[in-house]
Amino acid sequence: MPTVVLMDASLSMTRPVSQEQCTEELQRKHLAVAGLTMLFEHMANNYKLEFTSLVAFSSLWELLVPFTRDYSTLQEALSNLEDYDKTCLESALHGISNVVQQEWGHACPTQVVLVTDGSLGIGKGSLRHSLQTLKGRPEDKKFPLPFPFPAKLFIMCIANADELQMTDTMHNLEQLLQLNGGDGQIFTMEGQLCLKSVQSMFGRLIDAAYSPFPAVLRCGNLASDVQVFPRPEPVFLDEEIDPMPRHILTDLEIVGFIEIGDISSPPVMSRHLVLPIAVNKEVDDVGPGTTEEPEEETSANQQAGKVPNFCVLLHGSLKVEGMVALVQLGPEWYGMLYSQADSKKKSNLMMSLFEPGPEPLPWLGKVSQLGPISDAAENPYGEDDSKSPFPLQPKIKRSYAQNVTVWIKASGLQTDVQKILRNARKLPEKTQTFYKELNRLRKAALAFGFWELLKGVAELLERECTLLPDTAHPDAAFQLSHAAKQLKLASTGDSQYAAFDQNINPMHTDFSGGGAGM
Amino acid sequence: MMFSVSHKTAFVVDHCPYMAESSRQQVECDVLTKSRGQGMIPLAPVSKSLWTCAVECSMEYCRILYDVYPLKKLINYIVSDSEFHILNSWRQEDQSTHELMSALAAVGPPNPQEDPECCSVLHGLVAAVESLCKITEYQHEARTTLMDTADRVANRGRIICLTNAKSDTHVRMLEDCVQETILEQNKMAAGSDRLMSIQQCELVLVHIFPQGEDTLVSDRPKKEVSSLLTSEVHSVRAGRHLATKLNILVQQHFDLASTTITNIPMKEEQHANTSANYDVELLHHRDAHLEFFKSGDLHMAGSTSRDSGLKETVTLKWCTPRTNSVELHYCTGAYRISPTDVNSRPSSCLTNFLLNGRSVLLEQPRKSGSKVISHMLSSHGGEIFLHVLNSTRSTLEDPPSISEGCGGRVTDYRITDFGEFMRENRLTPVPESPDTEASGKPPAERAKAQLERYTRYWPMIISQTTIFNMQAVVPLANLIVKESLSEEDLLTCQKTVYNLVDMERKNDPLPISTVGSRGKGPKRDEQYRIMWNELETLVKTHVAGSERHQRVLDCIIACRSKPPEEEERKKRGRKREDKEDKAEKNINKDSEDKSWQESERLKGTLERGKEEQGESEIIKDSPDSPEPLNKKPRLEEIQLPEKAKGPVSLLTMWTNRITVANSRKHQEFAGRISSVNNKAELYQHLKDENGMDLHENGKATR
Repeated sequence: MPTVVLMDASLSMTRPVSQEQCTEELQRKHLAVAGLTMLFEHMANNYKLEFTSLVAFSSLWELLVPFTRDYSTLQEALSNLEDYDKTCLESALHGISNVVQQEWGHACPTQVVLVTDGSLGIGKGSLRHSLQTLKGRPEDKKFPLPFPFPAKLFIMCIANADELQMTDTMHNLEQLLQLNGGDGQIFTMEGQLCLKSVQSMFGRLIDAAYSPFPAVLRCGNLASDVQVFPRPEPVFLDEEIDPMPRHILTDLEIVGFIEIGDISSPPVMSRHLVLPIAVNKEVDDVGPGTTEEPEEETSANQQAGKVPNFCVLLHGSLKVEGMVALVQLGPEWYGMLYSQADSKKKSNLMMSLFEPGPEPLPWLGKVSQLGPISDAAENPYGEDDSKSPFPLQPKIKRSYAQNVTVWIKASGLQTDVQKILRNARKLPEKTQTFYKELNRLRKAALAFGFWELLKGVAELLERECTLLPDTAHPDAAFQLSHAAKQLKLASTGDSQYAAFDQNINPMHTDFSGGGAGM
Repeated sequence: MMFSVSHKTAFVVDHCPYMAESSRQQVECDVLTKSRGQGMIPLAPVSKSLWTCAVECSMEYCRILYDVYPLKKLINYIVSDSEFHILNSWRQEDQSTHELMSALAAVGPPNPQEDPECCSVLHGLVAAVESLCKITEYQHEARTTLMDTADRVANRGRIICLTNAKSDTHVRMLEDCVQETILEQNKMAAGSDRLMSIQQCELVLVHIFPQGEDTLVSDRPKKEVSSLLTSEVHSVRAGRHLATKLNILVQQHFDLASTTITNIPMKEEQHANTSANYDVELLHHRDAHLEFFKSGDLHMAGSTSRDSGLKETVTLKWCTPRTNSVELHYCTGAYRISPTDVNSRPSSCLTNFLLNGRSVLLEQPRKSGSKVISHMLSSHGGEIFLHVLNSTRSTLEDPPSISEGCGGRVTDYRITDFGEFMRENRLTPVPESPDTEASGKPPAERAKAQLERYTRYWPMIISQTTIFNMQAVVPLANLIVKESLSEEDLLTCQKTVYNLVDMERKNDPLPISTVGSRGKGPKRDEQYRIMWNELETLVKTHVAGSERHQRVLDCIIACRSKPPEEEERKKRGRKREDKEDKAEKNINKDSEDKSWQESERLKGTLERGKEEQGESEIIKDSPDSPEPLNKKPRLEEIQLPEKAKGPVSLLTMWTNRITVANSRKHQEFAGRISSVNNKAELYQHLKDENGMDLHENGKATR
């Protein structure tokens, strides 16, 4: 989940903070920079796969650092931040909306961290003005929220709550959050504005959005501590019936294995890297990449690298065998683990989450009904792996798989009639096909109450009969007049002849060959 | 929203005498070819009645619906003349076009002779409202599972009425009647467990009139009749127009969208060696176009408006080369499709191609620039799905390689063995039956239980195991993990054990790992001891399974004979006698015996599970065993994570860590020990110093 840091660079950010102990003047901007520095450091150490970009805004906005995992660049840009004029949030939000869409499209969930002192401008371009003029805007001047992509909005106020509530700022920010569908949070500083309180505020943000997701991956008695990245987000199902958010378990249990060909590019809600972690390291147990004590780290990493880990074994075998592991994420919620290779021949263990529910993939059926092959009387994969129990077939075939009759276009009807006539001319060789097509037409005509058609086709068959050449097989004439007669009877709607499930059968004749004895 | 208006659709089709009237749209079904046409009078064209038009268009609506939503979107088909005829129920098994066609055939076309005064579509509309109050199996299931919050289960529905109305006043009368019936029925439903009151109902009135006539009823967009009922009126000519109208309605009602696959290469019937390109239009859930909607890219993606702007379709280009089935695409959605023109030749060519198991990637036609593959068509078990592929940059790009992480440096994982393990633990659908419920665990839980059994003893790396590197152990290893053993299985296991005894007698070599150790590794009899111990460990994890599992263990214990050390000593003696060159050994014999006694004492104090560890110590004490010290650090390393699981004091963690770090540095030391040719004193001395060094070094590194 990429992050956009939207940093207020307006002049109001340079307001000094009254500080008793320190003689040096401290501005709100300095506090903001300190907070962000802490966030970037945390990410560099514990969440280093996150792409982050930095946008500064005042009345204009500027993309200072495009999406990157290089936190030193972000840090550098932050320390070179200049001061500009007034706050104009709306255009900045438009800006980041474009930046995100250009980079990640519209489906990628994004986190927006807005850092501001809470003075949101005055007059035109201020947030208050933007919110007051929400309604009645033309299509091309719509307010940028909600974003076209799923987004969490974290508003970091370099101000305390009392200060914000004295004006309507808090109210405006809450409204902003609501416009975003309520997804996000407003953070304010507690107590005096100082380095300590800004760090505590960013600490709360880190806990809420940037703490790694630790889990245990299990396959029977084999297990590995892992970090799932990015953090899996809670999922809401049918809000009317089941309004509770669903979280994935921290105990990920493998149910069994399925061939890639059988699971067949299933739709997934999200993808996550599953990175094995060494929990008993003395250095922070927060996954790879802590660099606080470089020397220690290297040796600990090397050591962890040499301890056999189940994830590596699993990944290797999944890759070699071309299989996926079905993993349970919660009650009636499943996902799959597989080896994902990128273009650089690096590969890693990836987990995709299916939509929650008992039957996420119709071609697998209910997951709870998937059992071990040893339960089956006969190996469903065959002794030589030549078969597969998947995909499951639906009980009723779809229209395109069952030769349905549709006469909405005249050509559909013409084709069906011509098919019958073509076969009629090749009697008795085509007796089977002739009656098959005839019965198909008869069934549809009866269902649609299209008796006129039955009469019409009967007449056509009678005419064909008169047109038979002298060389024709005698059986042909018999079958044609028999079929014509039966159609006419059906067209009366007499239940004896017009039953839907009844078929016209070929006439029994004394002639050898042909359709006799069908 | 599971129980939206589209959960229940009641079709009410007018079956009154006036519906027998001709639509006056004529179909020429006698197409004469040039060669045969001469002198023949073609058959008069046939024309469909209003009824036939209504029925076939409603069937087309149902066909598309059932293709795209085979479950949970239900249709109740009602026909109305002098009374109502309900052709099916809300039950899922009644939901198929075949069922409906069969029932329609039984009804037949309207009887023009019937008294028009007795006939009305009202009977059907009343029946439809009553029907909407009936609970479906899905609503029932949701209510039962929710229990106290059962009132969250909504009851909404839609009535599509195909009729020939007299006037706008007539239409209003029909609306009023539906409104009244809803109020009446809701009262009744309130006092019933098996009925649900209607919270929302959409009435869609389609007035059908013959070609060439002027309509007596005016179109009217959706309006609210009451808080419960909305109503809209469509006035349509029978025939093609009606078909188009219902096609648009089914898309609106079920959130469908249209995609036209273009540039499909297809062999010509007449000229097999040429191929022309065709287009096929498919309907599917509109979420398959979500990315286009959001980006406002609909037109860029090649969307075109047809039928005077009523219908939009997105064009996607057939893309060669095709994809193979063993590729796992990153797919964000998969939606069932239904071809708009199901039995046209291009449609059936495309669907048959897909049903045969092939997949097609689809490309967004762009005026310029790179090609973007955004969708894939693929069938799964006779159903075709439009898959949405992710075509934007991934946030997971350039991940660290697994070889850089924990366990990434280990090179001797049992990859092939685990592959075999995965094949044995593949899943298969188990038919739902009362039996499986009686036996307790659902199949997926049984699959997990099997994984638990199979992994009770499963060393991850080759150098950690002996028995799994031995072909001779395979039969036993495969059987012992089973939930229950047959008498035959037991025999096979026992045979395996006898076979191992035989190997030991013949002194066959064992695939003991020599990784990391110098020389030729432990001696043969030592190897067998390791092997037997490992085999015992494996079997012991399963003895609780059944009495036969226990008997396998008994067999092993009996065959390897106890105590193993004594047995081995005897054997050792025997072997030694057989050997030609024993001068050197004889010299050491005394000290060796002593060390063996010592080791036996030591061993007694050790738990069975820690036998391996004890072993390494014994090897160390043994005078003629080759350098074993390299093995020690490895063993400790392996046990580290396990130790960490339990409550471990900080000191232990620290000491372990330092021990591991230091033992590595001491490899050279150990090398020198072996070169000294086993001076017991020196060995002890060094060992003590080692202990001291540990702590000193530990401080030094800090």
